[in-house]
Amino acid sequence: MAGKSGRSINNVPESPIKKMLFSWEGILVIVFILVNIFCACFSEFYNLKSLLRQMPVYLAEVFLMLPMAYILVLGEIDISVGSIVCLCATMSCIVCNTGAPFVLVVITALVVGTLCGSVNGFILTRFQELPPMIVTLATQIIFRGIAEIILGSGGSISASNTDGFRLLAGKVGSVPYILFLVVIMAVIFAVILGKSTFGRRVYAIGTNRLTAYYSGIHVQKIRFIIYTVMGTISGLCALFIVSTSYGANTTTGNGFEMDAIAMAVFGGISSTGGKGNLAGGVISAFIIVCLRVGLGQRNVHAQVILLILGLLLIGAVALPNIIGQVKKAMKVKK
Amino acid sequence: MNKKLVSAVLCGTMVLGAACPVFAGVADGKKIALVGKSAGNAFFEIAAASYKETVEAEGGTVDVVYPEAATADAQIKVLDNLISQDYDAICISANDVNALQAKMEEAMDAGIKVSSFDSAPNSDSRQVFVNQAGTVAVGQALMDAVLDIAGGEGQWAILSATSQAANQNAWIDAMKSIMESDEKYSKLELVEVAYGDDEPQKSIDQTSALLENYPDLKVICAPTTVGIAAAAKYLQDNESTCKLTGLGLPSEMIEYTGADDAHSCPYFYLWDMQGLGKLSAYATIALANEEITGALDETFTAGDLGEYTITTADDGGTEIVLGLPLQFNSDNIEEMAKLY
Repeated sequence: MAGKSGRSINNVPESPIKKMLFSWEGILVIVFILVNIFCACFSEFYNLKSLLRQMPVYLAEVFLMLPMAYILVLGEIDISVGSIVCLCATMSCIVCNTGAPFVLVVITALVVGTLCGSVNGFILTRFQELPPMIVTLATQIIFRGIAEIILGSGGSISASNTDGFRLLAGKVGSVPYILFLVVIMAVIFAVILGKSTFGRRVYAIGTNRLTAYYSGIHVQKIRFIIYTVMGTISGLCALFIVSTSYGANTTTGNGFEMDAIAMAVFGGISSTGGKGNLAGGVISAFIIVCLRVGLGQRNVHAQVILLILGLLLIGAVALPNIIGQVKKAMKVKK
Repeated sequence: MNKKLVSAVLCGTMVLGAACPVFAGVADGKKIALVGKSAGNAFFEIAAASYKETVEAEGGTVDVVYPEAATADAQIKVLDNLISQDYDAICISANDVNALQAKMEEAMDAGIKVSSFDSAPNSDSRQVFVNQAGTVAVGQALMDAVLDIAGGEGQWAILSATSQAANQNAWIDAMKSIMESDEKYSKLELVEVAYGDDEPQKSIDQTSALLENYPDLKVICAPTTVGIAAAAKYLQDNESTCKLTGLGLPSEMIEYTGADDAHSCPYFYLWDMQGLGKLSAYATIALANEEITGALDETFTAGDLGEYTITTADDGGTEIVLGLPLQFNSDNIEEMAKLY
């Protein structure tokens, strides 16, 4: 059965403290602390208050990372989520502009997201030989295409009644609602993945789909559920994105799928399936958020920030490999 | 030993103090941020350089910040960063009309003065917009150029970008209504509006089709930089008697601009991006000094550009209009081609 910890660095000593420290999550916590110390030294404006104020835009993407982690653990990928966000945001603005109550706007976003996700799930479970990358690439184009057709020549729509969205963007003291919601959702997703039968089945499918199938796991049912939930969460993300801009346009949600995948993979969730846990994903998500806010506050060139994140990601993926090779080389010398 | 050290430090301080120019500018100590649409737009950078120069000459500092992508979402992240940094004023070229409203309001609530130039966010998202030239002013300049080059009468045509381009259509409509409103244009005949889709080859094809269909065509007006450059090359290579004007980039038009028959374009227009940057800088400073609030009919002095009055913009907000577009002809094109 697959190990549930993230990337393994080496054969760790048995002491539980050492074990925690040497696990991928332990390293991520240390990186998180270092990043915060670095940002605080780097930017005179970096403090809890400014961090909390700037966080909501990034936190919306953290929602996407949660179901994306499940998909990666399955050994699959969904690159259509950015487009689903775009379509949900567009539809919720349209419903909002008809004067409907805000509850209906929320339901619209979630239902549209769920429908899009179930389309992905349906295609992938009905035609099992199709690779998820290609199917979701196609739906990525289709969902954004539909959004663009709805948006028409102007390419953007704004919500005429922003009260509901202002409510979503609200705060308790200086802590935004979205932070609470992210934490709650993260706990739910982590517990289901880590502690429940459903979660264990997901790992089983990711480790070896055929074995899982012959052990009596409803592989296709589980895949369908996960892709559908991915869509629902995209709808949730869309609501918070709209609450930052009171509108949607053809570029809304561009690249969100890659950000979500990056957070998960940096968190130790293997894209080949069966490995990693959500604790790592959540910590890495906050590392990325803090780093972006801290560097951004000193007006570091946006492309340089992306470059740093890219290097971090490559480093994170390659580190266990590099350490392994160094060890091998040392053994050979001996 | 100690005394020596102290005196050395004192001497050093005095030298430094004397070397530092004493700023008495109107923007003394003001911290201003200028936000672009995206990095790598040479056109915007001309205005940004002029903006920065103007503010710095007045003793303030400017940080020019670009978002990671040319989207409103990316600009929201930039604005978030800027609001954290205690800026006195922010000036932005917006990627979307409405999407920035939440953040711009947040900035204004934080006491930051918010203005815009080049591309305006909606009227609730700004205190004032600095506009290059109104649609009508562009239409008027182009219409007068057509009249002048055609010699007062004859056939002319428009070579536009795409049929959906909002700015193109606004200028074309302005030209049409100007042509109808004044008797002096009555001998001009607009034969066709052709669309080159802002592709060089398609623009050339459309130009050659115009010449074939209308052998007596006197002037083509291309209010698009791609179209005018393509048509200029085609007309000049074929030694056509048909002349050209419109909106273009000096660096692309330098070979074709001249008053004689060997050149296809006598003169053309474009935004005065340097002037725009300068005026925006003075507008920002005036806002930061609370000389103006962006309300209608307020006036302020924009350095050597003179006095400006805040007027009503098309979108219901307020704006400051720089003036007419800049004319490029054989006299100034060489110098301007180095910039644009």
